Amino acid sequence: MMVKFVRTSLLIICITLPLSGCWDIKDINHRLLPVTMGIAKQGEEYEVILQIPQPTQNTTKIKIVKETGKTITQAIDRISMNMESSVELLHLRIIIIDKETAELGIADILSGFIRAREVSSKTLLVICDEELDSFFANVNGAMESENIAIFDFFEKDKGWTPHIVLTRVWEAFRSIHSYTIDVAIPIVASGESTIISHVGSAVMKKGRMVDRVTSDESLLFNTFHGEGAEGKIEVMDKASVLIVDSAVKNKHQFVDNRPYLQCQINIDVVILEAQKGATNEVIKNDLEKALSNRFKELFAKIQANKADILGLGQYYRSNIPRTKLKEWRTAYYPALTLDVQFHVDIRNEGYIKNPS
Amino acid sequence: MDKSLHVIVMYILTHLALIFFVYPGNIIDSTTQGHWAAIFIGVAVHFIFIYLYMKGLSFFPKKDLISIYFGAGKIVSIIFLLPLACYLLMINIITIRAYSEIITIVFLSNTPLWAIMALLLSISTFIAISGIETIFRTGILLMILFLPPVLFVFFASFQNVDWHYFLPLNSDLGFFAKREFYQSFFAFSGGFIFLGFVQPYFSYSRKKILLAAVALVPFFIFSVYIPILTFGQATASLFTLPYVVVVDTININWLMFDRVTMFFLLSLITFIFLFISLIQWKTVRIINKCIPAVNSVYVIVALSLFTYLVCLFIPNWKEVKNLFWWNSMLRFYILIAIPISVYMIGLHSKRGGKQNDG
Amino acid sequence: MDAILSEITNKFAENEDFFIERSELLDVPVFFLGFHSLIDLTKTKTNIQRNINHTIATKASLEDCLTLLGEEKNVEDAALSILEGKLIICLEVDSKCIVTAPVSKPLNRSIEPPTNENVLLGSLNSFTEELEANLGLVRKQILSEHLRSKSFTVGRTQKKKLSLLYLEDSTDRKLVQQVIKRIEANQEKAIQNIQSLAKALGFSSWGIVSKFNITELPQEAVFYLKKGRVVLFLDQFPAALILPKLLWDMFVLESDNNHPAPMMIALRLLRIFGALITLILPGLYVALVAINPEILQIELALSIAKSREGVPYPAFVEIIIMLIVLELILEASARLPKTIGPTITMVGGIILGQAVVEAKLVSNLLIIILAATTIATSTVIGFQNLLTIRLCKYAMVILASIFGVLGIISGLVLISAYLASIKSFSIPFLHIQSTKDEADHG
Repeated sequence: MMVKFVRTSLLIICITLPLSGCWDIKDINHRLLPVTMGIAKQGEEYEVILQIPQPTQNTTKIKIVKETGKTITQAIDRISMNMESSVELLHLRIIIIDKETAELGIADILSGFIRAREVSSKTLLVICDEELDSFFANVNGAMESENIAIFDFFEKDKGWTPHIVLTRVWEAFRSIHSYTIDVAIPIVASGESTIISHVGSAVMKKGRMVDRVTSDESLLFNTFHGEGAEGKIEVMDKASVLIVDSAVKNKHQFVDNRPYLQCQINIDVVILEAQKGATNEVIKNDLEKALSNRFKELFAKIQANKADILGLGQYYRSNIPRTKLKEWRTAYYPALTLDVQFHVDIRNEGYIKNPS
Repeated sequence: MDKSLHVIVMYILTHLALIFFVYPGNIIDSTTQGHWAAIFIGVAVHFIFIYLYMKGLSFFPKKDLISIYFGAGKIVSIIFLLPLACYLLMINIITIRAYSEIITIVFLSNTPLWAIMALLLSISTFIAISGIETIFRTGILLMILFLPPVLFVFFASFQNVDWHYFLPLNSDLGFFAKREFYQSFFAFSGGFIFLGFVQPYFSYSRKKILLAAVALVPFFIFSVYIPILTFGQATASLFTLPYVVVVDTININWLMFDRVTMFFLLSLITFIFLFISLIQWKTVRIINKCIPAVNSVYVIVALSLFTYLVCLFIPNWKEVKNLFWWNSMLRFYILIAIPISVYMIGLHSKRGGKQNDG
Repeated sequence: MDAILSEITNKFAENEDFFIERSELLDVPVFFLGFHSLIDLTKTKTNIQRNINHTIATKASLEDCLTLLGEEKNVEDAALSILEGKLIICLEVDSKCIVTAPVSKPLNRSIEPPTNENVLLGSLNSFTEELEANLGLVRKQILSEHLRSKSFTVGRTQKKKLSLLYLEDSTDRKLVQQVIKRIEANQEKAIQNIQSLAKALGFSSWGIVSKFNITELPQEAVFYLKKGRVVLFLDQFPAALILPKLLWDMFVLESDNNHPAPMMIALRLLRIFGALITLILPGLYVALVAINPEILQIELALSIAKSREGVPYPAFVEIIIMLIVLELILEASARLPKTIGPTITMVGGIILGQAVVEAKLVSNLLIIILAATTIATSTVIGFQNLLTIRLCKYAMVILASIFGVLGIISGLVLISAYLASIKSFSIPFLHIQSTKDEADHG
């Protein structure tokens, strides 16, 4: 009987025990859930701009709030203090970093995000080419009528195109500490007719922006990482094609402490437009030549900056002892010889025959 | 009656609960390359001793660990059962404290620790009071409900791996000098002792348990390697709970939910409930055998109150880690001494029996 | 003789419908005793006369005739028989009480289709109040020589008949013996309803899971008999009580077997899913809205926030209020006569569907969740199981409002553990089957 009593009372305790406490209860309509955060460092202080969608009866209004603080947390706390509901970064989708701040380095910002866990590590990083204030003002003006659009721009099943390099917080964080990999971060500015315009990608080395590459080069970057090319138009003087598939084959060698990489990129394309006289053969050759030149330029640029955004160092992890691997960027990477070959395959020509 | 299924399920669930949290961090901290060596040494030790343990137990069908030791004499039982009871008690305290801390780190950052610990303890105590059969049956239900999400997230966590990080393969044996390596045995030593306690209630086939242990090997390997393959050793070593961070990076668009981590961790927490109740039950079995006069229900309740109080006095994560480290001496004693001693007693009694016969 | 007569008369004298009629059978003076309300006396008398005339033809004595008419009983039993609606014939001379079966007034309804359970494919007969009829229905369903039945009369002042049925070849002997032992030990106790029966069988009356599986359908009862369960019939209770009840019974119907196997499996999975949804969904709403909104995708989070805009109280209060309103509607429509019932449905529908949302008292997402929950609850088999799940749902909501998703998960653990801890007649609730060979899967 006693046993039963103890059991029953335990059961009751389990259920009712902490009814007294409602520590975490804060209803969703009393939380402000910003989707975009802008960060700029001004002297010693961080300037944080939040873009907060506020649901009202029929539409969603977007509110922009700005605050400064010694740390990002402090700035957000100040916003929270001054707003009617508390700001929670749980649903942050995009972090927009001012260009000057990116050049100074974002390592601290990133490790702060990863440590606190409030910001999802899947949040995308973007660098802004103009003043954050004007950027947000312009974007907001353009978005007035529509719903939250700025992250749709980067969503794979929505507005994303292979010209845009997607880099998430965790990837950037990894690159800061990894010996052999760097990342690229897309650069945007507010657009004239469109909401935002994509201007290229930033080359990040150990969390600092060292150079920038163009939009077309970003496409190559994505192609190299295998997730790229699908469905993108490549314009030449004579024709434009749609890349439908791409595959990369790498052969790496490590001779006399010098890395060699032979890289073959196979691309399947579909012809979209062709001017008179542009035969398949011509298109194919021109495309191959153009792409490999462009790739070489890209590689020369990043190699000069000693930033391994292609992650080539990954191939030599077994060749270089771990103690030496730390020096990959400085000792080995500049000496890397890259031989790139594009192989284009025209899969079909659409409804109209094209002379081969 | 052969109830291998129950025992296997329990074995797998309790180990899964232990693997994914602290274990990857320990292994990653213990060496910078070739983690497989550290993992395999752990797994091999695990296999050797569960085999010995079960072999030893098989000499005594229908007898549990306690009666085996009692049968071998008073001194033997004190030498082995007293440390075992202490160890179980400590594990109980550590598990509850550590996991409630993890819960506050990962979600529920505003909920006070005492409430989470009370929740963990009261539910486990409830299960433990209902007895071993309830624990095992609950295990089956929990497996049906929560193993699928765990497996789903486990496979989904391969999403961001970069296989190049597997290299370099060669390993040094430097991890033998590291504290963390010895701490990693928590994942191996915590779960298997119960095999000696269930004998009169559940019989099981040794081969199936070994198979279950084999099935766990991939989880041991990949719980360590997935963080490394995703982040690289240099970054992964920065994290307190590497696997949890990896799960955070999984991006599944079609799922209606954003953070899959939650479900993974919570499913593992349910296995922790089981683990704690099993430990409580074991402790009480030992105590009860020594003081048979007291009703075991009171012992369990008193025990969990004691655990709760001790947990309240542990102020921070550092102390938990310290406790973890102090516990590892005892852990190795349990991991090594108990299987060997059971085996020896078994051999001895078998030989003795034969001499008596012939 | 007079002693017996007066004893019985004293017992029932204050009943208007009690009669003592003096008459003669074969020139022997006798008394007929019984209740007008239960016996059609005129017809009975003619019947008896016809019987006697028939026997006289074979030149038998009155003694023989009477033994043919019924059996002799002592006063105690005779009084009980009167209550049961039997006719007593008392011989004036040698103080004998003969209990005979009269022509009774038609007080039983005929066998009808079930009212509380729906049959999609399967036999439409359902049990009625009369115990014998129910036994007969079972016998018709299962033509087996292994079917055994045993009757008990329980209660001291208020008597009740109880019958126990089992199939000898598939039921565990121990189970049957245990049940019989328990009933016999408690034969003195009054058993008027399921709760008192459960108590008599030694179950705690505080468990939230009903200890019997109750079915109106002979087909289902036979299905359980074949699976090695014991079936109990309580007189004047129009359903079979099946012992022991197992978790799996919530999801399995015999008539499922009338579908092809894939459909059968799909249907059963659907029911399990329904039960889980009922348990989880309301709690999940509270957890996601109030505690762990980071789990939601941002689009979803925003639309939920939008729908909750202007709702004055926290999600927990919101859902509890609406759940209780919903339970009230359910209970009210069960109470009301069938003619007024639809009104409740309509009023309730308007309240739940429109007015509350428009008045900004609750969010419209909550209405969707409530509707889904209510629908999902109803997929479970057996009304008493439905009640259990409905109750558990509240525990989940409370836990969820404290610990968020962790609360839901620990609620599930708690419920699992509770279910795992239930045992009846040493058969765990989570067993899949309880046949003799103890095929055990959980």
